Amino acid sequence: MRGASMAERRVRSFSITRLPGFGVIALATFVLLYVPIVTLVVFSFNAQASMSTWGGFSLTWYEAAFNNRQVREVSIRSLWLAVVASGLATMVATLAALATTRTSRFRGQTMIYALINQPLMVPEVVTGVALLIFFAAIRVQTGYSGMGYLVIAHTAFCIPFAYLPIKARLETMDLTLERAAADLYASPWQAFRHITLPLVMPGVMAGFMLGFVISLDTVVITEFVKAAGQDTLPTYMLGQLRRQVTPEMNAIATLFLALSVVAVTIFFVLSRKRA
Amino acid sequence: MATPAPKPASTPAPGARVTEIEIGALSKTFGRGAQAFRALSDVSVSINRGEFFTLLGPSGCGKTTLLRLIAGFEQPSGGTLRIGGREVAGLGPNQRPVNTVFQNYALFPHMSVAENIGFGLRMQRRPAAERRETVDRMLRLVRMEAMADRRPTQISGGQQQRVALARALAPQPRVLLLDEPLSALDLKLRKEMQSELKRLQLETGITFVFVTHDQEEALTMSDRVAVMSEGRILQTGTPEEIYNRPADRFVADFIGDTNFLDAVVQDITATHAVVRLPGGARLAANLPAGGGTAAGATVTVVIRPEHARLVGDSADGPADEGAVLSGQVERSVFFGTDTHVHLRLSDGTPFVVRRQNTAAATPPPEIGREVSVALAGGAVQVLRN
Ligand SMILES: Nc1ncnc2c1ncn2[C@@H]1O[C@H](COP(=O)(O)OP(=O)(O)O)[C@@H](O)[C@H]1O
Ligand SMILES: [Mg+2]
Repeated sequence: MRGASMAERRVRSFSITRLPGFGVIALATFVLLYVPIVTLVVFSFNAQASMSTWGGFSLTWYEAAFNNRQVREVSIRSLWLAVVASGLATMVATLAALATTRTSRFRGQTMIYALINQPLMVPEVVTGVALLIFFAAIRVQTGYSGMGYLVIAHTAFCIPFAYLPIKARLETMDLTLERAAADLYASPWQAFRHITLPLVMPGVMAGFMLGFVISLDTVVITEFVKAAGQDTLPTYMLGQLRRQVTPEMNAIATLFLALSVVAVTIFFVLSRKRA
Repeated sequence: MATPAPKPASTPAPGARVTEIEIGALSKTFGRGAQAFRALSDVSVSINRGEFFTLLGPSGCGKTTLLRLIAGFEQPSGGTLRIGGREVAGLGPNQRPVNTVFQNYALFPHMSVAENIGFGLRMQRRPAAERRETVDRMLRLVRMEAMADRRPTQISGGQQQRVALARALAPQPRVLLLDEPLSALDLKLRKEMQSELKRLQLETGITFVFVTHDQEEALTMSDRVAVMSEGRILQTGTPEEIYNRPADRFVADFIGDTNFLDAVVQDITATHAVVRLPGGARLAANLPAGGGTAAGATVTVVIRPEHARLVGDSADGPADEGAVLSGQVERSVFFGTDTHVHLRLSDGTPFVVRRQNTAAATPPPEIGREVSVALAGGAVQVLRN
C-alpha cells in the first residue's frame, strides 16, 4: 500500500498541471483574453460618452446604434453575405467531403485535401491582394461591380472551415448503412437523400455555423475586395474607429459578440452530437 | 428508380426442384498486377427455391465475397450469375430481388424499428396501406410489436438482429442473404436465433443463403451445405452427405472429428471399392462422386470415430467378431455423453474410437492394453486424391 502511494506521489510530481508557474501563466492568459472584452461590454452600457469613467447604466448607445441608418445597412449586408457565402461554401464542402470519404482512394486525393485547405495556409493578405487584382481584371472586362465579388471571395474563404466538421462526421458514419439502403432498393440518390444526408446533417449545420462566423468576422479579404458602398460591419467599424471613438462602437461590438457566441455554441453542440 | 416488386417466392410443389440461383464458373479477383488476389475461382453451384443453403468454410475462404457478388455489391471478374432465371451481371444491389442481413445489422440509427422495417417497401413505392400492413405482419413475425417506435440504439443486440431480419424479409425478396448473422450473439441467444431463423425460413418459403464458419450451425440448420476453402467450393450436399461421405481431406477434417488411414484399392466398381487397410483387413468402401481411382492405387480413407467400436467392449458377442484393426490404447478422454479412446495402430497411425457412455457402460480399457476395432457397415469412405 505504502509503495503504491509513493509511486502515486511521484507520478503526481511529474504532472504538467502542477509545474510551478503554470497557474500564474494561465491566469495571465485569461486576464489578457477577457478583461478587454469585459471592459468593452461594460462600457457599452455607460451613460457617458467616455471610455474611462463610469456614469451610470443606460441603453443610450444601443439606441444610437439602432437609429444609425448606416449601421443598419452594413449589419444587414454582413448577415446577408455571411448566410449566402456560408450556404454556398457548405454545399461545396459537403460535395467535397463526400468525394473524399465516400469513394475508394484515388490518385491525387491528398493533393485535393491540401487544395481544399489552401485558405488555412495562405496568409489572408496574399489572398486579398490576389483577389483584388483578379477581380479588377474581371471588372474591367465585364463592367460588373456588384456584391458577387464579395460572395465569391467569402465563399472560397469559408469552404475549408465548413469542410472540416462535415468530413469528420462522414468519417464516423458506418458505410454499410448506405449499402443496406441500396440492398433495400434505394437508388444512389435515394440512399443519399434518406440515409447519408440526415445522418451527416449535424455536421453540415456545424459547417454552416462555422462558415457563418468566419464570414461575419473576416476583415482583410473584405477590405481588399469591396467596392465603394460595400462595407460590412467589421470594415465599417474599422473605418469609424479611425475617426471618432464613441461607446456606440462598444454597443455594436457587444451585439456582434453575442451573435458570434450563439453561432459558435450551436456549432459545438452540433459537432458533438453522436452519429 | 424503384424496381418492380419481385414476386413472392412461391413454395415449390413437393418434389419439384426449381432453381433460384444458378452460379456458373464464377470468379472474383481483387486488385491488379502483382497485387491481384483471387478471392473466388471457378465457383459453380445451383441453389433451389425455398432451400436453406449454407456456405461453410474457414475465415478468409471467400464466403462473404460470394454473398456480395450475389447481392450486387461487387461485380464478378468472370462467370455467370442468374437469379430467378435472369442474368444479373451489371445490375446494382437495388435492382436485384435479393435482401441482405448484415453481420453488424446496419440498422438506420435515425429511424424507428417500424421505419427500418418499412424502408424497402417505401423505396419500392408500395401503397401506404400495404406498407403498414406488411410492417405490422413483420413485427409480429419477429415478435417485436412492442418495440415498433423504439430507435435501434434503444433495443438489445438480439432484438436488433430480429429487426434486421424483418427489414430484409419485408419486401418479400426471392432470396435472403445472411452473412454470419449469429456470430455476434452469445451461445444461448445463438441457439434461440437458430431455431427462430429456421422457423422464419419455413414460414416465408424464401430461399436463404446463409454464411457461417461454424460447422455445427451449418449441419443443424441447412437443407444443403457448400464447403468452401481458398476461394473454391470443395463439396456440396446435404448435411448427412457432407458428414458421412466427405469427398475430400479438407471437408472431412473441417467437419467433425475423423480418422485418416492409408489403404490400397484391391477391386473397384462404379460406386464402391474393396480396400486393404493397414493390418491387412479387406473391406468394402464408398467411393467419392466422380470416382477417380483405380485398382492398385494407394488412397486415403476416413472413418468417423462413432462408426468404430472396440471388439469385446460390450457384454454380448464373441471377442473377435468383425475385428479389422488392432492397436494399443494411448489415452481416454471423457466428454460426458461419450468417451474418446485414442489408439495407436500396429503401423503407428493414430486412431480414435468413440464410446457411448450408457448407464451400464463398463470403464474404458486401461492405457497400454492391446485392443481390436470393428467397424459399422459403410463406415469407410475413400477420399478424392
Ligand atoms: N475488397 C477487397 N480487396 C482485396 N481483397 C479482398 C477484398 N474483399 C475480400 N478480400 C480478400 O478475399 C478473401 C476472402 O474474403 P471474404 O470473402 O471476406 O472471406 P470470408 O467471408 O470467407 O471470411 C480474403 O483473403 C480477403 O482478404
Ligand atoms: Mg465473411
